Amino acid sequence: MALSEADLVAAAVGRDGPRRTKVIRPVAFSIRDLWAGLMGLSAYADLLVVLSAHRLKIRYKQSMLGIAWAVIQPLALMIIYTLVFSVFTRIKTPGVPYPVFAYAALLPWTFFSTSLTNATNGLVSHAQLVTKVYFPREILPISYIVAALVDLLIASIIMGGLMLWYHVSLTPQALWLLPVTLVMAAFTTSCALIFSAMQVRVRDIGMAMPLVLQLWMFASPVVYPLGQVPERYRDYYLLNPMVGIVENFRAALLGNPLDVHSLSISIVMSAVLLPLSYLYFKRVEATVADVI
Amino acid sequence: MPSDLTFDNVSKRYIVRHEVDDDATKHPWIRKLNALRKRRDEFWALRDVSFAVERGETVGIIGHNGAGKSTILKLLANITAPTTGEIVINGRLSALIEVGSGFHPELTGRENIFLNGAILGMGRREIADKLESIAEFAGVKAFLDVPVKRFSSGMYVRLGFSIASHLDPDILLLDEVLAVGDAAFQEKCLTRIEGLRRAGTTIVFISHDLAAVERICDRVILMRRGEVAATGKPREIISLYQQQIEPSRINTMKTAMEDDRAVIESLAFYTPSGLRPSVFHTADPLVARIDYVANQEIRDAVFEVFVRTGDLTEVCQLTTETSGNPINLPVGRGTLEFHCDEISLQPGMYHANVCVKERLASEAINWQYHAATLRVDPGRITRGQFYQSNRWKLQRQAHTATPPQSGTGEAERQPSTRRPSLTPTP
Repeated sequence: MALSEADLVAAAVGRDGPRRTKVIRPVAFSIRDLWAGLMGLSAYADLLVVLSAHRLKIRYKQSMLGIAWAVIQPLALMIIYTLVFSVFTRIKTPGVPYPVFAYAALLPWTFFSTSLTNATNGLVSHAQLVTKVYFPREILPISYIVAALVDLLIASIIMGGLMLWYHVSLTPQALWLLPVTLVMAAFTTSCALIFSAMQVRVRDIGMAMPLVLQLWMFASPVVYPLGQVPERYRDYYLLNPMVGIVENFRAALLGNPLDVHSLSISIVMSAVLLPLSYLYFKRVEATVADVI
Repeated sequence: MPSDLTFDNVSKRYIVRHEVDDDATKHPWIRKLNALRKRRDEFWALRDVSFAVERGETVGIIGHNGAGKSTILKLLANITAPTTGEIVINGRLSALIEVGSGFHPELTGRENIFLNGAILGMGRREIADKLESIAEFAGVKAFLDVPVKRFSSGMYVRLGFSIASHLDPDILLLDEVLAVGDAAFQEKCLTRIEGLRRAGTTIVFISHDLAAVERICDRVILMRRGEVAATGKPREIISLYQQQIEPSRINTMKTAMEDDRAVIESLAFYTPSGLRPSVFHTADPLVARIDYVANQEIRDAVFEVFVRTGDLTEVCQLTTETSGNPINLPVGRGTLEFHCDEISLQPGMYHANVCVKERLASEAINWQYHAATLRVDPGRITRGQFYQSNRWKLQRQAHTATPPQSGTGEAERQPSTRRPSLTPTP
């Protein structure tokens, strides 16, 4: 009986097709690793999809408000900043009412900050898995970014409502949202890779994250327009890649002309940072199971 | 035959960090500062290990805890990178290490199958195709839409194994997976592994379950202190392993505290019927027999047996010190037997030290290190550090008369979704 059952299993298992040969060596720091890493990642594309969907499911499974949480955070921040910067003190916003102005920037900012807050702990909070099973580890932080991207889409519904209410219409400029979002995703991924890898050895990174993000937000044109930054500080200010991203996201959404200068800085920095951060992450990944 | 797996002079070094001694008289800030300079020590888990596994071969890797078995597995599974050397893997490799570690309690069985399958490297379509078969094999078909937090531990483990065993890899890594589940499920697992083996899957099996190793492996590698100690036929290597006495640090200090008033000649493990098997099973009865010679009369003697794992962790002690009447030994030979109703030890290889001393004496009269080896194979299977012998009793408050039910040993828990039908006893 047992024999025939084993035979059945044997028959069911296919044994054809070419085999891939994998060579495991001590870690190096080379372009070849970058290529090998990307190949490995593409083989696990399905895991990224399943894990990102899992993030969303888990988040809303036991909460009463469920998916509404994606909207509540940027909406609440928008109301607070409107009170502070538009009712108590007046910040000049070119052309649009303050709530629309603030919310248009809080959309990308919330994406960035939620992604980083969650992704920084991405490796550490999955220590159980990381020490037991192999899969490209970058999937863990990246899955939080994909989930945040879905949240961004949901939160955009409110943006539509606000624009209707204040009679701000969408222009063909809005097509720029796509490339700007792409740059933002690339930059967020770089930061997430670096911080989540560092967090494995130095847990201070996670502790510092809320403070860093708070400061970072005020160093980006979220609650005030880029034009308000004094001219003599402008060059240093523009070194923050989030400046070009937030400013141009808002410009594209509200139909204002893009700020090409700041956007190109963001593009160049993201393009340099992304491969470097990936190589750094892969290097840490090799021994992450030993130290986590 | 081509090699599916090659280890070429592979070494793995771990850095162990020690806290610098904490001196309470110093200022807290100074101590904080000192704590930053941790001492770093190197530890080589593997040293120049080379071996190859042919296509379709089933190789077992055995050895004491800390001999490097798990490190080999982690390197093969790509969980950690080697310090030096090269590993070549030919084909799709899947590891079956501590199944179920990727489950999320809030998600349903179905969702967890997709999540876990993806983590193990299956595509979504592949999982969808195998969903039926996975649930069937694990026996959780009726609970696919129940969150796994409501699963019994048995169901949890079965589902984990079932997913992993549906991977159809070219090379399969197995680690202690058979130490879980009930006997029937274990049999099912072994059958499945046998089937994969017959289909030509290359298998690397790392286990303390020597009986299973002997049953499924073509070849066994014995590891000792990070090096390959021996390779060969399962039967030969396993018996070599059983005879192998781990030389220990303590051995060297043995003569200092001995006198010849009494000597322990041997320690051996028997069944109550007087047989001396090479293998015991968890929950088997056991008799530990000590043969001694007393050269002088000894008043209030105490006999003790210490059971240790391969890495010298003490797991239990048998002693006459805390029970029964005082023992007075007249001059001459004698035997002392400890009778244990059920072995609580989990499967593994254990060593026993034995000593005789006078009550309250700080030094023993005679110590015998590694006087005997005790091999425990899976008997009554439970999870946890040891087997807790128990009896159980179920009382139902129903209108129709049902006879009370009882049993001994582990009772398979029903999923808690069904639990309302049982009323707890007051």
